Amino acid sequence: MTGFLALELRRSVRDVRYLVIAVAMPIGLYLLFTGLFGAHGQRALGLPQPVELMVAMIAYGAMWAVFSTTGPRIAHERAIGWTRQLRVTPLRPAAALSGKLLTALAAALPAMALVALTAVLSHHVQLSAGQWLALLAAMWAGVLPLALLGLAIGYLAADDIAFPATMALYFALGALGGLWIPLSVMPPAMQDIGRALPSNSVAELGWRIAGGQASVPRAVLVLTAWLLGSATAALLAYRRRNTRSAH
Amino acid sequence: MASARTDPIPTSQPEPEAARQAGGEQPAIRAAGLAKSYGPTVALAGLDLHVAAGETVALLGPNGAGKTTTIGLLVGLLHPDRGQVRVYGRPPSQAVAGGLVGAMLQDAGLMPGVRVGELLAMVRGLYPRPLPPGELVALADLGPVLGRRADRLSGGQAQRVRFAVAIAGDPRLLLLDEPTAAMDVQARRNFWAQIHRYTARGRTVLFATHYLQEADDAADRVVVIAGGRKVADGTPAAIKARFGDQQVRFTLLQGSPALLAALDGVRAVDRDGPRVTLRSSDTDATVAALVRSGLGWSGLEVGGGDLETSFLRLLAETS
Repeated sequence: MTGFLALELRRSVRDVRYLVIAVAMPIGLYLLFTGLFGAHGQRALGLPQPVELMVAMIAYGAMWAVFSTTGPRIAHERAIGWTRQLRVTPLRPAAALSGKLLTALAAALPAMALVALTAVLSHHVQLSAGQWLALLAAMWAGVLPLALLGLAIGYLAADDIAFPATMALYFALGALGGLWIPLSVMPPAMQDIGRALPSNSVAELGWRIAGGQASVPRAVLVLTAWLLGSATAALLAYRRRNTRSAH
Repeated sequence: MASARTDPIPTSQPEPEAARQAGGEQPAIRAAGLAKSYGPTVALAGLDLHVAAGETVALLGPNGAGKTTTIGLLVGLLHPDRGQVRVYGRPPSQAVAGGLVGAMLQDAGLMPGVRVGELLAMVRGLYPRPLPPGELVALADLGPVLGRRADRLSGGQAQRVRFAVAIAGDPRLLLLDEPTAAMDVQARRNFWAQIHRYTARGRTVLFATHYLQEADDAADRVVVIAGGRKVADGTPAAIKARFGDQQVRFTLLQGSPALLAALDGVRAVDRDGPRVTLRSSDTDATVAALVRSGLGWSGLEVGGGDLETSFLRLLAETS
């Protein structure tokens, strides 16, 4: 199991799709947006522009990190028969499944940390050590529902559908979740939708912590609901593929 | 999570070394009355299969005979509708979890995005008593490709890596589902040489094939299945005599057709006008007898017996 996990991780850091979209793109967008909108304006929740955007891009990068290491990858492994081959080794199916989940969560960390580092280096974003720790830990835990959603897609979608489907979901969650432009400038109906999305809730956790507000009941509630839903979906999708059928 | 590795596997853990040594006592495969249907399609209709430890057995049959379903049941990927199967006395999934079984499945692939050497190291790590790395690389002839990406290999290289993945854990039972289907003659010969090196270590092999010649070359025993049932079980020589009819064809120019059935080796005579097809168990003897017979003939052809035809004939006889 540890060997399996180690190899999955090693493979992830070589994956160009992961490196470019999950790591390089949020950093690039961060620099672009702070350049376009100016580093001194204020955005959501009264946070300085560089901080607000940092949190948004941490959420954005983490989201693709967990999506790219689950949905398209699992669908492809099913299609080429690696999943079947692995099932005739002593690796327990539950261990293989949790290995996928851990890999996804681990892949989110560098994507998140590098955006934070970029913010510190380019715009001298300053938070207390406790805030940094709480921000990264809370947002990291917050992407768990998204990782489970990725697993569900991986076990349900066909190989040729999984990548575009994941990509579409990623853009939709990013745009509608207020990671590109703040929810506050959107029409009220869109704001309601946005606040119900896990992408917005993950960012909300970070914004609140960066703004010194500890209490974030709405985001926690939304993420818990998504966690229950996506865990159920992932489990059902996995069982659908792994009981009494060979696929 | 970490428990996946440290959890004792109840059925494999208490296995004493003595029992392992005496593995010859325990049959590698014991299956009785296996039945499996996919909706209205019957894949297996009550298959009995017994394979002793150390045997190399061919599971021979035409496409759709139930070979792949049988292999799927033996590794626990499928569950029988009826009947029971034990691998070294255990349910298949437990035998797989205990590292007793390795398999080369049809259309099973390799982990993408990693090097061959990394992949094999990971797979070895999943087994309690894997083959030493050097031995594995030598057995599967993989030296030159260890540094290559597993998803960027030629067909033949990928097949060798898939074989290596199957034997990495040094399984006591190796299952191969039409392992040479996509190989040319030379690759096929090399592959069987590798299998022989592996079985020389006292391992048990069951392989599915639809080539009678392959079953004859590689197996100690041949189990023939058709229509989801066992229709024959015996030595390659016995199976070949029963299924391996060759054909001698020619146009009869002069002489009595009644003489044809008496030629050496002839088991059946088919006539289509002057064109004659003799089914023969020994085409050399049949042709020699034809030459001596004084019959007039032209357009002689000697051809391989068609296994599908043999099966159809056999099924017609048994039903």
